[in-house]
Amino acid sequence: MSVSHSHSAETHAHHELSFLRKYIFSEDHKIIGIQFLFSGLIFFLIGGTLALLVRLQVGFPKGVNLPWFPISWGGRMSPDFYAMAFSMHATIMIFFVIIPLLTGAFGNFTIPLMIGAKDMAFPKLNMMSYWFMWPAFAVILSSFFVEGGAGASGWTSYPLLASATMPAGEGFHSPASPHSGYGQICWLVALLFVGVSSMMGSINYMTTIINLRAPGMTMFRMPMTVWAMFITAILQSMALPVLTVALILQLLDKTINTTFFLPPGGAAFGNWHTGPGGGQTLLWQHLFWFYSHPAVYIMILPAMGMVSDIISTFARKHLFGYKPMVLAIAGIAGLGFIVWGHHMFQSGMDPRLGTGFMIATIMIALPSAVKTFNWLGTVWGANIQYTTAMLNALAFVAMFVIGGLSGIFMAATPVDVYFHDTYFIVAHIHYVLFMSSIFGIFGGIYYWFPKMFGRLMNEKWGKIHFALTFLFSNCTFFPMHIIGIAGHPRRYYDSTLYRFLDNVQPLNQFMTISAFLLALVQIIFLVNFFWSLFRGAKAGMNPWRSNTLEWTAPSPPPHGNFIQTPIVRRGPYEYGNPEAEEDYLPQAEPQPSGVPAPAH
Amino acid sequence: MQHKGWGIFFGVVLLVSFLSIAVGPWVGWWLPANVSTFGPDVDYLYYVILGFTTFFFILTEVLLVWAMYRFVGRPGAKSQYIEGHHRLEMLWTIVPGGILLYIAIAQISAWEKIKYQAKMPDPDLVMQITARQWDWTMRYADTPKPTDPRAWAEIPNSDDIYLPDELHCWKGANVRIYLKTQDVLHSLFLPQLRLKQDALPGKTIPVWFNATDFNTRFNASTGACETDKSKEWEIACAELCGGGHYRMRGLLYVHETKDDYLNWLKHAQQAARSRQPEKKTTPVAAKD
Repeated sequence: MSVSHSHSAETHAHHELSFLRKYIFSEDHKIIGIQFLFSGLIFFLIGGTLALLVRLQVGFPKGVNLPWFPISWGGRMSPDFYAMAFSMHATIMIFFVIIPLLTGAFGNFTIPLMIGAKDMAFPKLNMMSYWFMWPAFAVILSSFFVEGGAGASGWTSYPLLASATMPAGEGFHSPASPHSGYGQICWLVALLFVGVSSMMGSINYMTTIINLRAPGMTMFRMPMTVWAMFITAILQSMALPVLTVALILQLLDKTINTTFFLPPGGAAFGNWHTGPGGGQTLLWQHLFWFYSHPAVYIMILPAMGMVSDIISTFARKHLFGYKPMVLAIAGIAGLGFIVWGHHMFQSGMDPRLGTGFMIATIMIALPSAVKTFNWLGTVWGANIQYTTAMLNALAFVAMFVIGGLSGIFMAATPVDVYFHDTYFIVAHIHYVLFMSSIFGIFGGIYYWFPKMFGRLMNEKWGKIHFALTFLFSNCTFFPMHIIGIAGHPRRYYDSTLYRFLDNVQPLNQFMTISAFLLALVQIIFLVNFFWSLFRGAKAGMNPWRSNTLEWTAPSPPPHGNFIQTPIVRRGPYEYGNPEAEEDYLPQAEPQPSGVPAPAH
Repeated sequence: MQHKGWGIFFGVVLLVSFLSIAVGPWVGWWLPANVSTFGPDVDYLYYVILGFTTFFFILTEVLLVWAMYRFVGRPGAKSQYIEGHHRLEMLWTIVPGGILLYIAIAQISAWEKIKYQAKMPDPDLVMQITARQWDWTMRYADTPKPTDPRAWAEIPNSDDIYLPDELHCWKGANVRIYLKTQDVLHSLFLPQLRLKQDALPGKTIPVWFNATDFNTRFNASTGACETDKSKEWEIACAELCGGGHYRMRGLLYVHETKDDYLNWLKHAQQAARSRQPEKKTTPVAAKD
């Protein structure tokens, strides 16, 4: 390594700031990223706890006789409580964990460092994007304590279950569900704040990537992580306004009795009639999925980028097919805008429209397949180093194959007639979002932890955590495919009422026990994380012998990141180059003798 | 742990997962036996997709596990230096692309058959179902086929029979259901018929099926339907509709013949008339 600088230069760009400005109201992209990381991990615990409650009910619907179990009504939670638990589990995991972790934490931390910038283009906007999450945190957490409890209409909040409201003057109660009153209003308000936060982030990421790349960092020398974050930011900025509109419309329906989602004939709850409306329930589904289908890609593309970088680093091998990989991400993002209707095949939408959405949806499997083959191409002929980060990244690939392939069943309209809203879709979404995105996030944490905090996480405990997580998560989620094939509907409080599900109920119990074990082994991660924060081995500048620019900055990098602005001389994947002395050749390394200058 | 164990570990977990699905048909973890005319189309397409996805699952996972096992890093060694391979990229874009396009096109005719209104067969039996929190109201006309089914479905008639959660028809009948909801979204799901359709507030959605097997005979002397316990065909709700979503359970009674159905219908009419005519909350008149 030739990048060595005098130690005094490290503090060059570092201004002494008060604790409050440095760690709380920080404008430093790295601190903001770490703030997103910590709040995301805290919400991961909350979302995970809710998941355990859901699994407890599904696995043991007649109740469990645990006298010490706190939330129990005679050993059994109520159906409404159960509906709240799965609705809030999904809401928190999607809007408060995965999106903030991938774009907020890793996007913030990696983008400026990987393109050689001092910070984001708009540091104040960046700070605001994090602090706009706080009203969302406050509102979503307090919604558990409002009258009726938190929202229980699923994370999709379909009208009329979510939107039906008593006439003006009778408070915000709902005739459809006790949870659809104040709890649902909190849900809508919280998501509005999350949306504003994400929008500020997206604008910042795009501007930063377009304008602040270091000299020599052409677009096609950017690491896959940056490409993925860039395309995700575009996706987010185009889809979010539509979600915002939908949220506001439902908020108006709930608060001032507009009828955007109430049909002309109104609706009757028992003997009480809402009176006529003037809208359409399907309108919500179109608006919601126009955002939320791209959101599925927002929740996977950054992980794909991170995993590509991690795999190339620890395979010690050039990423196979860099440009096809970039094109595949762009392809997924582009096609991602015309596939939302596949959530609505059985919704009563004109089935002819379903045919069009089906073809687009099935074709979106193609760029995903291209990415998978390129990852395989990257590990083929590699010199693999099994670090914890690498194992998590490889698990991403192995599990994304399953999640990708299982999606085709629901994309095919006639097959979806049977599979729609069964546990098969629950299996699919967890293979994509837990088994893929979360393994990507774990990989990213193990990989960038030394850059974030200057210390390495413990590898031995990291691997134990990985192995047990991989095992128990498969035990938890794989049987969901099987009970889905048997026709088990999702969101059922008690499936033992149904004879056709008798055979698969033991699998439900197996999954529940596995889920508790899966949660238990996450303690290993938490202990390792906090122990390493203070006691981990010092990392040094480039512990993984990696090529990308962040590893030429000190660990952790000071405010302003680089001691001197790096000059980029090549792409990010020069591993195993036979002309180079070492098995890696960093992007900013001056040209070694014998290596021809790259053509691009 | 720079050794081959990780490849083996991945391989074992993936193999056990695969086997747990593969044994499904033999241990009752599989699609319930189909009893509808379009069911075989759905099942066939399911097996087509299952075939392709199984092939690609095995192909990619075997390659991954093998690479993890084979290419364990050695200190001082270097990987192969390859930036990509144009022909390989073309191959693994065009081949899956062709397969996916085939899968997509193969779906179209079955989808049209099941859901397109214009392609639905002429009904032998017309009925109307209204979902609400949390049951199904099955409405039967006094004759299996009213002269104008669509108009009949929209306007309640005093001669109609309302039954909660019981769907009666006969084997071989083209059944047309006009599906409504009076409150929130629901979804009519009959697993054995491979049928699912959401009920949408304010809309009347036609649904059809034709059962290929029967499970019910009407016993005139007892006035009860005798159902084959081994063929209990259940109706479930597949769209979240509140706390009671899980208990919108109904049953499908397929009579052996039209006559048997008519006998049951006559009996049900008499039973309904002899009861004190209770004021039934009329389903909300839905207009498109």
